[in-house]
Amino acid sequence: MSIELVNVGVAQLKIASSPVILRTILGSCVGICIYDRNKKIGGLAHILLSKSTNPSQPEKFADTAIPALIDQLLKQGCRREFMSAKIAGGASMFKFTSQTPLGLIGEHNVAMTKKVLEEKKIPLLSEDTGGSSGRVIDFYLEDGRLKVKAGGHEEYYYKV
Amino acid sequence: MHEHIKERIKTVITNLTALPSMPEVVTRIINMVNDPNVDFKVVAHEISQDQAITTNILKLANSAYFSKGKEISSIDKALVTLGMKEVKDIVVVAATKQILDKPIIGYDLPKGELWKHNVAVAMLAKRIALDKKKRNLADLVFTGGIIHDVGKTVLALYVASTFKDIIQSTIENQITFAQAEQQIMGFDHQEIGQIILKKWKFPEVLQNIVRYHHDTDNAPEADIEAVSIVHIANTICQMAGIGIGGDGLYYELSGKAIETAGLDDTELQYYYSLTPELLKQARQIM
Repeated sequence: MSIELVNVGVAQLKIASSPVILRTILGSCVGICIYDRNKKIGGLAHILLSKSTNPSQPEKFADTAIPALIDQLLKQGCRREFMSAKIAGGASMFKFTSQTPLGLIGEHNVAMTKKVLEEKKIPLLSEDTGGSSGRVIDFYLEDGRLKVKAGGHEEYYYKV
Repeated sequence: MHEHIKERIKTVITNLTALPSMPEVVTRIINMVNDPNVDFKVVAHEISQDQAITTNILKLANSAYFSKGKEISSIDKALVTLGMKEVKDIVVVAATKQILDKPIIGYDLPKGELWKHNVAVAMLAKRIALDKKKRNLADLVFTGGIIHDVGKTVLALYVASTFKDIIQSTIENQITFAQAEQQIMGFDHQEIGQIILKKWKFPEVLQNIVRYHHDTDNAPEADIEAVSIVHIANTICQMAGIGIGGDGLYYELSGKAIETAGLDDTELQYYYSLTPELLKQARQIM
């Protein structure tokens, strides 16, 4: 039996349950994976920017996507005390000959993501962030593990 | 440097049949656009000589992105309704899809990713040109965006066997991925792209967009505006992860390009924030 693989696009948020795999591809964006280890339900938010400038698109920004993700999980019967987070992405251009804030988007995304997770009291168990690699991440709802593929190299994060 | 790889690439680029080919009619149309004396009927006749291209052109011309709500039933109608430059852009999309819409193994891009990336870069570049009131560059940067990474299709095979060395050199020497390709294989994907465009007899400005899209600062002065716009559109799409591959963001964002294109911080961030909408648009013609 093949396991369903669901692609999460830029500025999208998706929830699913075991044994679905949620996949997304990241540059400077951050993939926020929250898992309820009791229900084996999880969600992946692919945020583009840190701070919301458009209330009609909460999935696009870290400060609005994380609360939306938690709310959707709660609606599925998940409980905060069983939730934990893993994050990946937030890469930056390797070099820049300009002081533009465009070069800092990756860093800002990671910083805001961590801040909001902390405010919402969701423990951040692992992060694979920064640098200049693109990342393909697979979030396995079977057990909450996260696979991060970057520059031909694979890394697994198992803690839930 | 991997000497044997360099020798193999040299063999490939000197043997023109080993490089991707382009129907002659496409080259003629691209060159016609810049000829003020050219007559629509001649262009329509040229295009309708190739049935496969004609079918694809009509399909694309009727997509939401190009048609602007009008029904386009013939090449003549497309030329009259959309104009020659727009039809030229459509011809380029139709003619390059089969070259770019395939897995690019060495750069770790599954089928469709490079195509999606190039279409998104083309659309964003055109949008920037129009917003910055550089209407004369709009179709040019679109075409340049569509083909800017064509060199990857040929170089991928060699990147597949040298990837680790390229990445290592990038980090150790603090150089871009393209510079490291040069160092390890003797060629980078921009140079190979330019060679392909030369084979196709595409205009020099397009060759320069392809050759300098990661190296704006060294682009010839005459073409630096077009090169800069494609450089910025490419950087923004890479950052948004659109068709991002094993080379990731191991490139340089050029301050000179930003200055040349006349974009401020707010505008740059705005274009980056538009990428989800841009992707939806790109799917209309993919």
